[in-house]
Amino acid sequence: MSLDLSKMRNIGISAHIDSGKTTLSERILFYCNRIHSIHEVRGKDGVGATMDSMDLERERGITIASAATSVTWKDHEINLIDTPGHVDFTIEVERSLRVLDGAILVLCSVGGVQSQSITVDRQMNRYHVPRIAFINKCDRTGANPYRVVHQLREKLNLNAVMMEIPIGLEDKLKGVVDLVTMEAVYFDGPNGEVIRREPIPASLATEAALKREELIDKASSFSDELMEAALSGEEISEDLIKAAVRKGTLSLKLCPVFMGSAHCNKGIQVLLDGVVSYLPDPTEVENRALDLDDNEKEIVLQPDSAMGAVVLAFKLEDGQYGQLTYIRVYQGIVRRGDELVNTRTRRKFRVGRLIKMHASEMEDIQEANCGEIAALFGIDCASGDTFCGSGLSYAMTSMFVPSPVISLAIYPKDKKSQDNMSKALNRFTKEDPTFQTYVDQESGQTIIKGMGELHLDVYVERMKREYNAEVTVGKPQVAYREAISERADFNYTHKKQTGGSGQFARVAGFIEPFTPDEDAEGLDKEYQFANEVKGGAIPTEYIPSCDKGFQQAIKRGPQLGFPIVGVKCTINDGAFHPVDSSDMAFQTAAIMAFKEAFPKAKPIILEPIMKVEIEGPTEFQGAIFGTINQRRGMIISSTEDGAITQIDAEVPLAEMFGYSTVLRSMTQGKAEFTMELDHYSKVPASVVDDLKKEFADKKK
Amino acid sequence: MFENSINGGLGRGNLGVLASRHGVGKTACLVHLATDKLFQGEHVVHVSFNGNVEHVMNWYKEVFREISEYKSLDDAFEVYNAMRANRVVMNFSQENISVDKILQSLETLIKQGSFSADTIFFDGYKLTMATEEDVRKIKEFAKAMNVEVWFSVSPIRPDVSFDEYGVPDSMKPYFNLVDVLIGLKYNDEKSKVIMTVVRDHDRNLPKPTGVALNPKTMLISE
Repeated sequence: MSLDLSKMRNIGISAHIDSGKTTLSERILFYCNRIHSIHEVRGKDGVGATMDSMDLERERGITIASAATSVTWKDHEINLIDTPGHVDFTIEVERSLRVLDGAILVLCSVGGVQSQSITVDRQMNRYHVPRIAFINKCDRTGANPYRVVHQLREKLNLNAVMMEIPIGLEDKLKGVVDLVTMEAVYFDGPNGEVIRREPIPASLATEAALKREELIDKASSFSDELMEAALSGEEISEDLIKAAVRKGTLSLKLCPVFMGSAHCNKGIQVLLDGVVSYLPDPTEVENRALDLDDNEKEIVLQPDSAMGAVVLAFKLEDGQYGQLTYIRVYQGIVRRGDELVNTRTRRKFRVGRLIKMHASEMEDIQEANCGEIAALFGIDCASGDTFCGSGLSYAMTSMFVPSPVISLAIYPKDKKSQDNMSKALNRFTKEDPTFQTYVDQESGQTIIKGMGELHLDVYVERMKREYNAEVTVGKPQVAYREAISERADFNYTHKKQTGGSGQFARVAGFIEPFTPDEDAEGLDKEYQFANEVKGGAIPTEYIPSCDKGFQQAIKRGPQLGFPIVGVKCTINDGAFHPVDSSDMAFQTAAIMAFKEAFPKAKPIILEPIMKVEIEGPTEFQGAIFGTINQRRGMIISSTEDGAITQIDAEVPLAEMFGYSTVLRSMTQGKAEFTMELDHYSKVPASVVDDLKKEFADKKK
Repeated sequence: MFENSINGGLGRGNLGVLASRHGVGKTACLVHLATDKLFQGEHVVHVSFNGNVEHVMNWYKEVFREISEYKSLDDAFEVYNAMRANRVVMNFSQENISVDKILQSLETLIKQGSFSADTIFFDGYKLTMATEEDVRKIKEFAKAMNVEVWFSVSPIRPDVSFDEYGVPDSMKPYFNLVDVLIGLKYNDEKSKVIMTVVRDHDRNLPKPTGVALNPKTMLISE
């Protein structure tokens, strides 16, 4: 295997639903395998030629099932990493983006930049992923790649530059003009595998020259050489343009645009050339980790095989041979038999079987070099864990994990289902940090929590299919938060003298709302503690006890039993007893003091507000507006583009249950929506009363 | 100050126009007018045609930030959130969309979306390309819905000449339908954008508003 990192590309393909992501992946696999097969299985050309879409279909099943697939294109190794589409699975998207070095953004030539394209683009920006765009479906009626390029510039603010222009459009799509080499490229043969390069047809010569000028103009801001060459009117070499475009792409300041039609087998090979020419190799991307031994100091990882290994487990898969863990090596080298440490659990393990996934088979390998994507068998870990070689204790920069907003009680149908259910839950929580589960102490119910109705639905469905666990589900429950809106004082004395040693503690102070810093994480976001006790009214050793007591108190708010957030507890006075005061006594006193002050602090309830995006035919606009209005929603904007309207709104999650059914039936299934958590906001007084009543009923 | 100079505002059912050359700052000015309405607790629809809702949102954010700094608002965050709930941005990315369609969508929003709009702002509508009939329809709509309608207008055609207040002559055919017409013009000497009321309801006499804008912030500077 080649260890030349400059010939390796780790890329993902992202797109809005129905832009042809899968078809494109299929074709890439097909063309890359094809080169393999000519090489290896000579004489089976007949098989290749008659390979119909059914076979491709079967191959597709494999692409979807495997998280990462290696293919070879012109002696470059390309690792295709699967990125799921739906926002409920954002965490998975973000995790795969973390692993990618570059991406292909697929757009439909008719639909253009759609809502999901915008989301994906935003995520790519966050992880600094260089990208090239591919305008697919140029054979469709109404195809207009020029409009899509315009939208890339307008809506995504990308410095999009056309690398090709189409030869014919819609059903007359014949090929593309390569603006770098200034040749017309045609794709012959039953599967478009034969590339024919010819002079540009006369009818397109002017346009091609014009667009090439634009390309050189944009590229020359990344290369002085090119700029000089262009100004002096010299013949401009291909390499010069490619180098400049590459530089621009890597710095995220340029987005080369390719086009074609995956379905009609047009333009894919040129796109693959583009991947090789313009997307970065693993050495060109800076990756960072946190050194756990050095106060989480940020370090830049070196793609150097001589250094200690740093590996990220980015996806788990349950295969027939047990758990398959997909890894990316960021630094050093991983060999069979090496000992690695999981820095989260601090557990050591030995690397057993190490494999690489190819389109249809797995290949056993002896080692995985830095930059490579591979998979391990039989490692017990959670996805997102970092493994390190001896002596190192790094964690790959912790990814932002949003807390769940919705919960659901699930009941197994029988004993067998119960066993399977716990197996399934154990597995899912490892795979997905936004999916959590616990057993409610009071009711004994198993509760699952996640990012949305669909998110939980999918897991319930998977339990049934993959683990044979039949469960019934309860009503979804929104994860509310409780908070206070005013300062309130407390002064509480805890006294107990019923035989044995007594308990005594007095705490005084106040609670007040606070706004956390933007970069605060974990508990710091929700709670603060301050000690202003003077003159030893409370002995120093009992101060942490008070802190603990308050932390205990905020876990379950008195209004609805949900956690309390954004509260700062300050103690400024107290009293103790030389014999009867204890850690426990002060904790209890703090809990009781909090309970005393809370109702006086004008308590409020916060609810998750979702950012909802609805896309559908314009004729249903009114009906959609109506549904938002009925749901205490707020319309932010609407964008009409021909027959399609996109509506952005903010709606409380509590009102969104069952919305997909309502929307579907109202629009004859023509509208779709996505939502994600935006922020928490105060629940209106009228709704609070209902919630309180419900809570009281539940308690009975 | 601005409202005073046009006799206490535009009034419901009426059309107002901000006209200027390209790039003088009509959008900023329009967003300012809208923000002003929002501060008064009114409901506003912003109709844009440039295809990027985010741009428009950023204008509002920016203008609000400047005003809140100027007024040194304590509860800026809450005020902004309250205002956000009263504002809808409607965007039409399709080229050459008909007036009927726009009005239909607006009516849908107001009626079915139960959004009781007080003022509608058309940002960048090609009023100069519209027929007299179109403008009449918009005016009828304003009357029927009982809303104020403001336009920002700058002609794209290069052959249009501008008068001394920054109003293009291609506006002339609709003079009678427009209730308030304001010209924006950049004044080199003062480095300010000068606002002039060219037409105020039934009076055609141009008079300076006495309002000049800082071209950077678009905040009223005089």
